[in-house]
Amino acid sequence: MHMANELLSVPVAAGTLAIAAGALGFICRRVRQVIATEKLALMGILGAFVFAAQMVNFQIPAMPGTSGHMVGAVLLAIILGPHLGTVVISSVVIIQCLIFQDGGLLALGCNIINMGLVPCYLGYFLYKLVMTGQFSSLKSYIGAMLACVLALEAGAILVPIQAALSGVLAVPFSTFLITMIGVHFLVGFIEGLITVTVLAYLQQVRPDVVIDCLPGKVRLSRGAVLITLAIFAVIAGAGLSLLASDFPDGLEWSYAERPDQPDFDSIVSNEDPRVAAVDDFQSKYTLLPDYSGRASKLGQIAVDEVDLSAGWTSFAGVVGSAITMVAIWLAAWILRKRQPSKA
Amino acid sequence: MHHAHIDKFAYQDSVIHRLDSRVKFIAVLIFTAVVISLPRTSLSIPVCYAIGPFAILVLGRVPLRFVFRKILLVSPFVLVLALSCPLYDRTPLTVAFGPFIWRGTVGWMRCFTILGKFVVTMLALIGLVSTTRFNDLLAGLQKLGVPKLLVIQLGFLYRYIFVLIDRAHHILQARAGRKLRSLGFKRELRTASAMVGSLFIRSIDTAEHINIAMQGRGFDGRWRSISKLRIRRADLLFALAAVFFILGLYVFIRPVLQ
Repeated sequence: MHMANELLSVPVAAGTLAIAAGALGFICRRVRQVIATEKLALMGILGAFVFAAQMVNFQIPAMPGTSGHMVGAVLLAIILGPHLGTVVISSVVIIQCLIFQDGGLLALGCNIINMGLVPCYLGYFLYKLVMTGQFSSLKSYIGAMLACVLALEAGAILVPIQAALSGVLAVPFSTFLITMIGVHFLVGFIEGLITVTVLAYLQQVRPDVVIDCLPGKVRLSRGAVLITLAIFAVIAGAGLSLLASDFPDGLEWSYAERPDQPDFDSIVSNEDPRVAAVDDFQSKYTLLPDYSGRASKLGQIAVDEVDLSAGWTSFAGVVGSAITMVAIWLAAWILRKRQPSKA
Repeated sequence: MHHAHIDKFAYQDSVIHRLDSRVKFIAVLIFTAVVISLPRTSLSIPVCYAIGPFAILVLGRVPLRFVFRKILLVSPFVLVLALSCPLYDRTPLTVAFGPFIWRGTVGWMRCFTILGKFVVTMLALIGLVSTTRFNDLLAGLQKLGVPKLLVIQLGFLYRYIFVLIDRAHHILQARAGRKLRSLGFKRELRTASAMVGSLFIRSIDTAEHINIAMQGRGFDGRWRSISKLRIRRADLLFALAAVFFILGLYVFIRPVLQ
């Protein structure tokens, strides 16, 4: 579920980057006040542990050929506390982007929110909710399971919301949402199973680690949790309501006809002056339109109606770029050939 | 396994490698933003924009086969979503491309545009990462205002990823050597979680040892780097070229069509 740059529009990417950067900056300042220098190495190594733990795979019975592995966000949040857990998981996401190129540079904000902030805080909160009162292993297992499923699900739901707000994909919001929820229910369930069994193992071997005795843990006050959840709910609600309104960019598909269903009643018809204005603006703004004019009705577009002159410009652009690249490559090759003889 | 396995090209030396990491980082960030905001009706503009990262990769002597293998490796999620576009948007359209005329649907056009932009921005990101040492990049990020705690965290993480991945490899090898058949889900799960658990405990212990060693050498929580960051004339030239390229292409293409 690493978001890519291309599935986002610039405003959404910039907004999520700002939210993620602000939250991380705030958390880092808070953590820096509490944590001792000795714990810096521990955090870094637990980040590397997440990578190593993801390599430990095992077979899933129902689906031959696939194998499951853990994500680790909830485990770290339970053991380290949500603040440290978020910092560790965010750094894992950043490294995945910078070293392994998984997820784009501009999508980093989305990825930190979806995989770091939301699962860590929500997972920790749910775990603590179940764990109120006296410690018992059964409660901790139920709490970890619940936390894994719901926290991963919450992160996964954000992906289609962000994509729909950007309006790049043609996939209907509901289809994408249902797919993500379905897939991540499975992912969350397996994650929960591993987290629970790892917790059971740790409790046998190092009980001090599980019953929050790992030093350097930053506790979260109940008020802070409620405020965080409230802010999150407001943001999610705002996003959903934006989707429900006819946001011209995000809901492009709501006014497009559906050729596969001729009797499909489009929500906003193309005769609407607003839509026409948007289309007009788009065609004006478009730099190099490969195709001009939206096909307003199915099958009504004739070949001679299409502005074919635009095609030649883009053809020239592509050919010119290809020639430039070949020239650069040749120049570099010649220079490189020459260099060793000089040295 | 060693660092060099993943980012071996960052340790080469070339004109691009010697540039300041901050300049490169900001250039790639702006480039990505511009490419994403390009209209999604055109596939040929991203192709034109590919010249920039291509030049960086060639000048930085990064083999193109390595680059494309990397792009392929990270593409599945985008690929699935892009390929589902043609299923939902079937508005017919005619595309004129020089002497060729192609009749397809808007969905396919979107799919190709998404994939085209994906490849171009990935080229830029790989261009940045494989011509910059990670320590330099971190020092640059710290100068750009990334919190110190996060920089330290990233530094540790980068240093120990391969140590722990190595360890995980050992554990996996031990399992493969002992487990000769499928054990059934329950025992598979128990084995895997015991492996993760022991990895976790060993990580905590390793952290303790490292911490003691670092305290012995006077670590006070500050991240020090020997890489000196200085904006030189070459950096200014590169920044100028990048701005000229990004803006120039934008301005140049626009009036041609209006």
